[in-house]
Amino acid sequence: MSKRRREDELMAQLIQTDKMAALGLLVAGVAHEINTPMGAINSNNDIMTRAVARIRKRLERAPDNEAIRLLDILGEVCRNNEIATDRIMKIVQNLKNFARLDEAERKTVDIHEGIESTLTLLRHQLRGRIRILKEFSEDVPEIECLPNQLNQVFMNVLVNAAQAIKHSGQITVRTWRDNDNVRISITDTGIGIPRKNLSKIFDPGFTTKGVGVGTGLGLSICYKIIQDHRGTIEAKTSNEGTTFIISLPIERSMKSASR
Amino acid sequence: MKENCNPTIMLVDDEEMVLSSIKSFLAIDAAYNLVAYTSPLKALEDLDTNHKRVDLVISDYLMPEMDGITFLARVKEKLPMVPRVLLTGYADKENAIKAINNVGLYQYVEKPWDNEDLRLVIRNGLEKTTLLHQLEEKIREVERTQRELSEVQKDILRVFA
Repeated sequence: MSKRRREDELMAQLIQTDKMAALGLLVAGVAHEINTPMGAINSNNDIMTRAVARIRKRLERAPDNEAIRLLDILGEVCRNNEIATDRIMKIVQNLKNFARLDEAERKTVDIHEGIESTLTLLRHQLRGRIRILKEFSEDVPEIECLPNQLNQVFMNVLVNAAQAIKHSGQITVRTWRDNDNVRISITDTGIGIPRKNLSKIFDPGFTTKGVGVGTGLGLSICYKIIQDHRGTIEAKTSNEGTTFIISLPIERSMKSASR
Repeated sequence: MKENCNPTIMLVDDEEMVLSSIKSFLAIDAAYNLVAYTSPLKALEDLDTNHKRVDLVISDYLMPEMDGITFLARVKEKLPMVPRVLLTGYADKENAIKAINNVGLYQYVEKPWDNEDLRLVIRNGLEKTTLLHQLEEKIREVERTQRELSEVQKDILRVFA
């Protein structure tokens, strides 16, 4: 690797470390801020549901059709609120999982959890346009890794895949075990990468996206993170789409002195 | 309210909406008295001056005057037997758990909380206090009986001396 490229890579890594630290703080703050009012709304809705049931019971003694009709509406509204609050709480939980604030260190985790969290976060970007196909193997063991960093890799590759699909299409996420490695493939039905660019996609600063869309750092960071995990990441492409294959060793998948 | 027979719970959270929500829940579905504070300092003051009977204390973690761990540590000095519960939306669980171990909390409830869980935590906490009180009473009883026995023993010895 040239000196210039090493410097660029170091720079990319520094910027990323900074960004992740800032994001972590932001998410921690937001999670706390949201959980308090969310807790109140969630609890109030539960109280209303209980109250509706009580009133309904009392009405059995002195039936009043209009009151019962109103209670039916209230009950429906409460159920609807419950679904809505559950959705918000799930999103907050996923944000926390993604940043893995409480686990900034090496952890033995099921990579499928990270992939699921990332997909949930991307849902609004994909909805209606892109179908997600998951083919997760049950043979895949838990691996020791930095989960927040691996999630970042999944996020980067999945966002790229979504951007490569112009109108509608499909992204297939597969996992399987290959001897001593865990493999994850992410295949899109997008426009593909021109042959002349394929060798440069992991270079820091290389981008074909417009100004303000890409920094050209995303895949170089992915490369660095996977390298730190003693794994490999490679791309196969044609005009029918692109597949990224990530390979991670099962045993001691981390450099012991990294970071 | 029948202040005298129902247990009293002290709740401290700088957010009025949390106090209001838990107050409503306990009013509709439990027989507890609730004393609620938005200020931990005011709560401590009332413990000192008004000698309020409190059977369980629930506190938020992040508050402007002092954090929940500090508050509950002060409560522990004043009322060592009363179970202390931390109610928190704090995201950094690892540090929270460390702090919890230092203060000896009874329970840790995460926001957004589940009313049924909260009710269970309160009920079990109060039960623990009741059991502790009963245990103290039994110990006193045993000590009294032991004293009486030793008196009898002395009497017997005197007779045979």
